Amino acid sequence: MTSIILLSIFGILNLFMGFMRSNKVLLPGAMLLLLAVFGANLADWNVVHAPYFNNMLVVDNYTVAFTGIVVLTTIVLLPFSRSYVVAGETNLAEYYALLLFSLVGAVMMIGYNHLIMLFVGIEILSISMYVLAGSSKRDSRSNEAALKYFLMGAFATGILLFGIALLYGATGTFVLSDLAGAVAAPENASLQPMLYIGILMMIIGIGFKVSAAPFHFWTPDVYEGTPTFFTAFMSTVVKTAGFAAFLKLLAVALPGAQGFWLPTIQAMCALTLLLGNVGAAVQTSTKRMLAYSSVSHAGYLLIGLVASRGNLTGDAASGIFFYSLAYSIATIAAFGVLKLVADHRQRDDYAALNGLGKTNPLLAFSMTVAMLSLAGIPLTGGFFGKFFLLAAAAGQGYIGLVVFAVIMSMVGLYYYLRPLIAMYLRPAEEGATPVPVDGIQTATLALLALLSIVLGIVPGFLSGIL
Amino acid sequence: MQETVLPGANAPYSTLLYVLIPLLPFLGFLLNGLLNRKLSGTVAGLIGSATVLGSFLISVMLFLNFEYQYTVQLFDWISVGSLQIPFQYQIDQLSLIMLLLVTGVGFLIHVYSIGYMHHDENVGKFFSFLNLFIFSMLLLVMGANFVILFIGWEGVGLCSYLLIGFWNKNTAYNNAAKKAFIINRIGDLGFLLGIFLIYLTFDSVQYAEVFQKASTMQIGTGVITAITLLLFVGAMGKSAQLPLYTWLPDAMAGPTPVSALIHAATMVTAGIYMVLRANVLFTLAPDTLQVVAIVGAATALFAATIGLAQNDIKKVLAYSTVSQLGYMFLALGVMGYSTSLFHVLTHAFFKALMFLGAGSVIHAMSNEQDLRRMGGLRKALPITFLTFLIGCLAISGIPPFSGFFSKDEILAHAFEHNKVLWAMGLLTAFLTAFYMFRLLFLAFFGEFRGTAEQKHHLHESPASMTFPLIVLAVLAAVGGFMGAPMFTGGHHYLAEYLAPIFTYSQRLLPAAFNAEPDHNTELMLMGLSVAAGLLGIILAYVFYVVRAQRPAEEEAQRSGPESLVYHKYYIDELYNAVFTRPIMALSNGLYKFVENGIINPVVGVFGRAVNGGGTLLRYVQTGAVETYLILMVIGIVLILGLNFGRF
Amino acid sequence: MDQTIPEVIRTVPLQYYVFFASALFAIGVTGVLVRRNAIIIFMCVELMLNAVNILLTAFSAYRADPNGQIFVFFIMAVAAAEVSVGLGIIVMIYRNFQTTDVNLLSRLKW
Repeated sequence: MTSIILLSIFGILNLFMGFMRSNKVLLPGAMLLLLAVFGANLADWNVVHAPYFNNMLVVDNYTVAFTGIVVLTTIVLLPFSRSYVVAGETNLAEYYALLLFSLVGAVMMIGYNHLIMLFVGIEILSISMYVLAGSSKRDSRSNEAALKYFLMGAFATGILLFGIALLYGATGTFVLSDLAGAVAAPENASLQPMLYIGILMMIIGIGFKVSAAPFHFWTPDVYEGTPTFFTAFMSTVVKTAGFAAFLKLLAVALPGAQGFWLPTIQAMCALTLLLGNVGAAVQTSTKRMLAYSSVSHAGYLLIGLVASRGNLTGDAASGIFFYSLAYSIATIAAFGVLKLVADHRQRDDYAALNGLGKTNPLLAFSMTVAMLSLAGIPLTGGFFGKFFLLAAAAGQGYIGLVVFAVIMSMVGLYYYLRPLIAMYLRPAEEGATPVPVDGIQTATLALLALLSIVLGIVPGFLSGIL
Repeated sequence: MQETVLPGANAPYSTLLYVLIPLLPFLGFLLNGLLNRKLSGTVAGLIGSATVLGSFLISVMLFLNFEYQYTVQLFDWISVGSLQIPFQYQIDQLSLIMLLLVTGVGFLIHVYSIGYMHHDENVGKFFSFLNLFIFSMLLLVMGANFVILFIGWEGVGLCSYLLIGFWNKNTAYNNAAKKAFIINRIGDLGFLLGIFLIYLTFDSVQYAEVFQKASTMQIGTGVITAITLLLFVGAMGKSAQLPLYTWLPDAMAGPTPVSALIHAATMVTAGIYMVLRANVLFTLAPDTLQVVAIVGAATALFAATIGLAQNDIKKVLAYSTVSQLGYMFLALGVMGYSTSLFHVLTHAFFKALMFLGAGSVIHAMSNEQDLRRMGGLRKALPITFLTFLIGCLAISGIPPFSGFFSKDEILAHAFEHNKVLWAMGLLTAFLTAFYMFRLLFLAFFGEFRGTAEQKHHLHESPASMTFPLIVLAVLAAVGGFMGAPMFTGGHHYLAEYLAPIFTYSQRLLPAAFNAEPDHNTELMLMGLSVAAGLLGIILAYVFYVVRAQRPAEEEAQRSGPESLVYHKYYIDELYNAVFTRPIMALSNGLYKFVENGIINPVVGVFGRAVNGGGTLLRYVQTGAVETYLILMVIGIVLILGLNFGRF
Repeated sequence: MDQTIPEVIRTVPLQYYVFFASALFAIGVTGVLVRRNAIIIFMCVELMLNAVNILLTAFSAYRADPNGQIFVFFIMAVAAAEVSVGLGIIVMIYRNFQTTDVNLLSRLKW
């Protein structure tokens, strides 16, 4: 709760800082504010809070853990907005404020205990994202991304709401714990179809937000068109919060109907893995490849949902937590490097990375670790993320799904190696100059690489916390 | 016999000592990696070698004072729900032998590399990768559970990838590195799935627990067969068995010491180590063992056939490695577990020796690898020649060199098990002797066929390179006595030492361990395998020394001068028609049609399927919002429709 | 006129509301699919949201539970925010492309 209050206040504060017309203070200011939020959030660890607002919001370890991921992700993302500072972007304060506000939405999605909170959280996050996707007003690609995201997002919200309404009609409540009882023991058998349609439409609505196939079509286009800085935010924070909300919905409110929704989730999972990986394999733009790869990661996370079995703790939930963390860290590093390189070289295909190993060893190393982690190579966090999720699924007997996921991770290897080949094996263009990187970006990238490796060597300290 | 002591027994030394074994090479990796540019090549080499030597000395100390099996707990590594994985080392007979092998041979190869990589500009980088490899390999053999094993497994794969592509200016080398990495991942897939299945079945991935639980199961249990088959797929990738072997010959693109260390002595035997480690599971699955034996024998024969017609000195050795690895799997498949490790050891000695010898030749010839450009090198490179000769005698199974004992034991086991497998093994032994001596004769005998400049440049290698050669030659010559009962008063030291590793297997299937062939059969088998080896050598001598045949150039023109001497070579033509041509044609045919025509394309189909699917997907991703919305609605309708019956 | 509003709502059977709302929702979805003008698509989405509002209100009245109606307030507030952002985006598009036809915007694909 403190984090929601702090984030809201800090967001407004940031808007006021914008009046000072000094972009230089904004960046460190925003980072400091977020660090404060991160600390305040951690202070809630293992502290028992009564539910807030008539049981609408709960702050437990689950909330704290996932809030920790989204706040941390945003902190390490901020340094890559340097180019806005340098270019004298006039709306920088608004961007930061929107990021902070959307974090409020993310935290609400994570901590909700009432479907109103879920809806409001999703909308706060999404509406901010519509704006940020179109933040590059003169860029036709950014325009297009914003329009696509907005239209499809609004449509998906409609579906989600219709699902919620039907669920309410069938059960008469929005509170998760009450829903669980009503779903497990329906008061009236004639309401069952309404209940089930409601469940499916909610799954579809949230599935859209986390870009699960077949509702992922917007993802590559929107991610590609959105300015890279915000794409990184979308593919990490939005996804993490979305999965936290998804898991909570399925594990707390709907375990009673597990037999009903499980096949659907399994099918979505397999389809997402397939389309995400296969789609990524044929891309030529690094950014678009990362967009498809984020679809494929949604697939791996869906495995966690399949294996969750009504538990917010234990193997599957811990796996989702660990995977989200490892994925966010690696993704921020990848997008960060890509943004720096693309800003300097004015292109974002694989060839843009040519010779980076020679001109910018640190950037190349950071990208390497990120790619290996995303591909799930051991000694990186991504490996254990996958390992935990797949072990949880295997432990529940979903062998077919595990086999499929492992095969798909093979395909993943194919496209994650391509940036490495470009960086280390292809020569840079004639007269390519090193990409300028400032001190704080260097430190951030080094920190991200270190975190990925630490998670890959001693995953124990975070693996079992849920 | 010594009873297996279950883990829980305390480690006799401070934990620090055990930590140091992999940590020393890791420090070497960090030092060399971070100070890459600042260290001179020799210093980097010395750091690299010294750290491995340190690990070797500790291993020797542990080996000499070893009394009972134990595990060393470093820390609680992972605990998620019911999944508990501590970071533990397993110290037992198997891991100690592997430790000695990895650090010992590793040290020699590090020393050799100081001389070999002298002229390279990135020596620091090279040694840091090499140290990282040793670190990963040590993790692989010391880990006390399948997850640590897997991490080491992937680690060595990564290092192998880095080192194959070490000279990354050449695109072909990069492709070789990529191929190695990707094919290995196919194997790793199987391995990883095997681990998941083990976890599902035994609710643990700790060796001690898994094997304990497994030892009470019925032989032939379906799930165990599935697990072992999956594990074997992993081993096939890493240890280059049919059909996943194609990466190994290509991997010769890496610097020669890398080929010796990774692609001959250590990493490629990881698959055998894994099967040995899980021997209880394999004993429980006779069907899998059958598959292992067949794949092993087929690989041994197949690769030996291809080796006959290769003209690149390292390619010959590479195919020979694949073939010898096939032998080891054949031994595993017929439950000659300790025999298999025996061959791992002797093979490590003689094959590392031959790779290093080949490196010495390549070094002297200014990076020439084509046998057709060599010849007569024995005068210029006497030490290399002598040591190489010992290696060739050992691999050809000539007593009393090491390869004789291990290979003979494998063939004896195979004979008891299945005569066809034995015959394949024997034929392989003959082919092996032939192509190894073909290589030897082409390189070291006859006239020098290189350029004048190369001839001028010919020199014996520096001491840092000849010293490892000599040590390995001694080992290759006498290494066999650790498993030669007839020469050591009936003691098979290796088998006796290793027996506790196979306690569970022995309890499950005592018959397989007690069977002793009668003395006459044994002598007969021995005689046959020596005869096969000698025959191969003699044939090679006749062809390549007496008749001084040369492999044909790629686009050879049989022109005027040859037709003039037609009659003089009449007998040769006959020989050619009867022996050489068919064999060479078969060899080339297998290479061209099976390897390039079947195996590579089949592996490639996977890639094309992905690409094709992706292209198809692009048609759907039209960019128009309308399409996406329609697709979304179709998705919704599908989901609702498919669930309709269940409302 | 001594009936309360929920009582008035309850004079019509519940399933009528469900059918009506579903029909409205379906019309909205169809509109989204067939129209190409961004503004009209957006209006159709609003139609879908209003269908949800009607449904929630009806359920709320029948169950005598205020939660549903409160949810409607939230939906209306959020929809208003969405309208402002959405129109902002559409205006921006119109300025740059002089059109609001969604299918002309398909540079990002594959």
